[in-house]
Amino acid sequence: MAQDAPAAPAPTRTAVATSAEQRRAYIQFDLLIIPLIVLLFMGIFSFHFALLVGDWDYWVDWRDRRWWPLVTPLALSVLPGVFGYLLWDRLRLPVAGTLTILCLTFASWVSRYLNFHLFADFPMNMVWPSTYIALGLIFDCILLLSRSFFVTGLFGGFLFGLLVYPLNWPLLAPFQVPVELHGTMLTVADLLGYEYVRTAIPEYVRKIEQSTLRTFGEAVTPLTAVFAGFLNILNTWFWMWIGYLGAKSVWLRKIT
Amino acid sequence: MIDAAGTPTAAKLRSRRERLRRRTLRMLALFYVLMLLPLVADAHGERAQMPQLRMSTVHWFDIEVSTTRLDVNDEIVVKGSFMPSRFWPEHVESIEGTAFLNIGVPGPSFVRLDSRVNGVPMIRSTRFMRGELYHFEMRLKARKPGRYHVHPLINVKGTGPIIGPGRWVEVGGNAADFRLEATTLLGQKIDLEHYGFANAAWWSLFWFVFGLSWFVYWLLECPIVIPRFKRRDELGVDADQMITKADRRFAFIYLTLTLSFIVGGYQYAQASYPITTPLQTGRVNVPPAERPAPTVKVEMVEARYRIPGRSFRIELKVTNSGNSAVTVGELAAGNLRFVNAAVSKVVPADEDDLVAADSLRVENGPVQPSETRNIVIYADDAMWETQRMTTMIKSPDANVAAMLFFYGADGERHIVEIGGPMIPVFG
Ligand SMILES: [Cu+2]
Repeated sequence: MAQDAPAAPAPTRTAVATSAEQRRAYIQFDLLIIPLIVLLFMGIFSFHFALLVGDWDYWVDWRDRRWWPLVTPLALSVLPGVFGYLLWDRLRLPVAGTLTILCLTFASWVSRYLNFHLFADFPMNMVWPSTYIALGLIFDCILLLSRSFFVTGLFGGFLFGLLVYPLNWPLLAPFQVPVELHGTMLTVADLLGYEYVRTAIPEYVRKIEQSTLRTFGEAVTPLTAVFAGFLNILNTWFWMWIGYLGAKSVWLRKIT
Repeated sequence: MIDAAGTPTAAKLRSRRERLRRRTLRMLALFYVLMLLPLVADAHGERAQMPQLRMSTVHWFDIEVSTTRLDVNDEIVVKGSFMPSRFWPEHVESIEGTAFLNIGVPGPSFVRLDSRVNGVPMIRSTRFMRGELYHFEMRLKARKPGRYHVHPLINVKGTGPIIGPGRWVEVGGNAADFRLEATTLLGQKIDLEHYGFANAAWWSLFWFVFGLSWFVYWLLECPIVIPRFKRRDELGVDADQMITKADRRFAFIYLTLTLSFIVGGYQYAQASYPITTPLQTGRVNVPPAERPAPTVKVEMVEARYRIPGRSFRIELKVTNSGNSAVTVGELAAGNLRFVNAAVSKVVPADEDDLVAADSLRVENGPVQPSETRNIVIYADDAMWETQRMTTMIKSPDANVAAMLFFYGADGERHIVEIGGPMIPVFG
């Protein structure tokens, strides 16, 4: 990579003397570093998300009212938290929330299309990824407007947890329309899960909401959303703190 | 070779680039295979499982497929019977916990229209009782052309798939012709291959473009990384000055728009789909098949496996309380069938049907009505070896279980499970 750097033949210092040339060098640096960061985010985020959320995001019949909207924001806040801190602290750039989730979304679509659809033959309507980009936007906008990590964690973190379900409802609602199969009521999503055979993923491994005797029955969605929101405030603060530790670390100070 | 190419450096460079390209492609391919292995590998774990696990978990028998050659959109019925073993290993999670009747095919090459055990739909998970008899039936519709080894299987929670005997099925036709429809409880007819996808993709694209525009806004002042890094350093505690009034206005508009789109989208979806239900789950109960009181009682006196001869010798104490003489027609263990040709004629369904048509010998003949007698059976076949059943001597728990099929002089079949310790013979 060292050979590619524009300022390589610069022991004489003349190469970056004029501002026009300096500008060109900076642009080249951007052209080099930004795609690299994008690739890095795609790799890290999709790996991390596959590990923590995995099947909840892979299959339309896993997106229940209790576990999916709780697990997702907790896993989803990690990169926006860490890199939100780093990019704001070092560059005053409020883009980490949106950019990391854009990267995740792009990588997810590629993987669902190639692996799940073309290779494993599942129809796309069973394996489409959920959308979370709006959450990153909210995070970035609040960070910019408040200029405070505390406030961003408080409101951004809370909205991250609160809005996963309503944000995805326009995509998901058609799949939760009831159908009947052999005397059993199912949702369209359940029907897809039953008819499109998954040999290694039997029905019982789905971690979805089971019927309970709790009186909250009617209000599962809002309750989960609020609970996920509160939990995610602490979660976001924690990951921002990790970003703070990262910013302090030697390897970053060395660049300055 | 380099000389022949004329320009050696260019050729070398080209070949190096070619090699790199090929290596990258191979790595990518490997990566995808590894990612998908858990999805497809299960279809052929038949020999990989420990022999004890194969022998003393589920006994499958009378497996039938309605056809072995069909086209896309045609239906096929896979049916048969199974009996969870009474000798289910203690260290393996029981089928009496949670289980699901499934089909071992690579991905959704078939769709499952119906699956039942003893007439009860198996949409949900259930439990099966040890020593009880169950009849299953699965109706599938072919989706992708290809040649498939179709296995019935039962996923047992905590244990994994217990695979039944496979049958080769060939699917012809064109994958593009596949159709699958359903009617919702609201009376809407839907195409399950595509339903809801265009909508989900549209929303995803909308948010992607909207999010991307936010990022592009910041990219527009390019170069950004080094200049901003420097300014941020110069300004120190006053770094917030770097955020302009225009930035703030832009962020305010974006935040308002984002929240409005979320709320608007939610309300639009509520209005378009006023009736929805949560994902459905739960357990169903399957009553075991009713059977007449058994008239053949069997006790396993001794089981010895002679390794050099690939021969299983089992001594049995048989009590016949029926009205006609009975004799052993078949021993089935771990999906292998050892048939006594003198009593029962079995033709293998295909080249991978694990039937040894003439491999069972019975000593000390039929057991007469109201008689108790010790008989000895020998199951001799290379199948013990080729199907990797011989590794049973390496198990810390050297027990075996098998099904015996007795046939009466009146033609009736009696099914009895035997099991107990096994002793290997090395000489
Ligand atoms: Cu097979």
